[in-house]
Amino acid sequence: MTAARALAAELSKLLSLPATWLTIAGTLAANLLLAVAFAQAALRGTAATRDVVDVGLASIGYAQAGFVVLGVLAACSEYIGGQIRTTLAAMPHRARQLAAKHLATAIVALPAAALTAFCGVALTALVLGDTPATFGPILGVTGYLLLTTLIGVAAGALARRTLVAVAVLLGYFFVAGPLLRDNLDLAKYLPDTAGAAMWFPAGGALTPAQGALVLTAWTAALIAVALAGHHRRDA
Amino acid sequence: MRALAAELAKLASLPAAWVAAATGVLVPSAVAAMTARGGPVPGGEDIGYQELAFGVLGAIVLGVVAISSEYVTESAESGGGRQITTSLTAVPSRTRFLLAKMGAVAIGGALLAVVAAAATMGVVQAGAQTPPLGAGDVPRLAGVVCYWALTALLAFGVTVLTRHGVVPLALFIVNTSVVSVTYLLTKITLLANYLPDMAGVRMFIRRLPDNDVEIAPLTAGLVMAAWVAALLVVATVVFTRRDA
Repeated sequence: MTAARALAAELSKLLSLPATWLTIAGTLAANLLLAVAFAQAALRGTAATRDVVDVGLASIGYAQAGFVVLGVLAACSEYIGGQIRTTLAAMPHRARQLAAKHLATAIVALPAAALTAFCGVALTALVLGDTPATFGPILGVTGYLLLTTLIGVAAGALARRTLVAVAVLLGYFFVAGPLLRDNLDLAKYLPDTAGAAMWFPAGGALTPAQGALVLTAWTAALIAVALAGHHRRDA
Repeated sequence: MRALAAELAKLASLPAAWVAAATGVLVPSAVAAMTARGGPVPGGEDIGYQELAFGVLGAIVLGVVAISSEYVTESAESGGGRQITTSLTAVPSRTRFLLAKMGAVAIGGALLAVVAAAATMGVVQAGAQTPPLGAGDVPRLAGVVCYWALTALLAFGVTVLTRHGVVPLALFIVNTSVVSVTYLLTKITLLANYLPDMAGVRMFIRRLPDNDVEIAPLTAGLVMAAWVAALLVVATVVFTRRDA
């Protein structure tokens, strides 16, 4: 099976899962609700900033959970009811199969990420009655969400169980990561903090380009581990 | 009683429950160690308690997997069955089954809270420059135990309704984050202070950042317990009326 057909097969599987569409739709809706909430908070002057892009993207900190789940579901759906055996019978080259899955998930996640980021900012602009001054952070967020999704795919392929992968990743992104960020200097090189630098510059942190580089390195390393594990382990 | 013993045995045999327990103990104590090492901090009266508010993550996972594990479909080679069919064959009364499950989750969450609080406070006390624990800490620590048990029940109740763990797990973990969604909502409406988690933490946290609303610890516990009771009633009604 050629690489192109492997990609087509993975895309077809991913797009035919109701969970894919439900996750994307749920994330988009939750992000819009949160964006309104953040905009309201900004209107009342209780938020730190009133910049349209900053306020509009604040909700991404929560919405990223949906993209993590999307990536994990893409990988773990193979292990519900033994789909993986059919998949590997059709695509015996394991590294190619998993690489195709990562690529297919990225193809689905990229427009979803761009849409989520853009809609959040657009709605905030509407509520605040202001226009965004710069679009750079929206690009940064799109890239960040894309890489986060890929981390989800790799972690899902390693854990093979949806709940385990989701609990570990979200526990890291939402609880352990922020706590480490506050307490540890080296934490700025961890994936979540480096990634946040791509769109929300903070004092003493990395520049957006450095953040993107560090997060890409983490993602690539995790995908490499997942590929190696997939190649060597029993299916 | 035998139904409760069975549910406790099932819960204790789940690897995920032990991972949850390890997370619930290690996360708050490790973070408390880092905070305590940094010297005196603003809000020093809440040191340790602040970390335990995040450690509730372990109780959340415990509550979710207690019921989501019942609905996991085994692989085709093992018959493609689900634990729930066996459980309901053994305990045909749905209400009794769910009550036993709630008992197991509450006991698990409370035990985990006791261990986590002991570990976290031990770490905090080992650090220099922290005020020693006094009589005033007894009700606060009891508040931590209540908060963990109630949060485990809250996660459990939502998962009974969804029958799959991912959505409640994602929602609850996201809301455990340092700046939680419910905290954000308090900026929009003061009523959000009475949401279960925002009220619940006041059983043991003295000072929330940028928040002037005062809720007495006992009131806070009652508010959270009322939420949990309402949710569990809904969950029980749905569970007894729905196909398994």
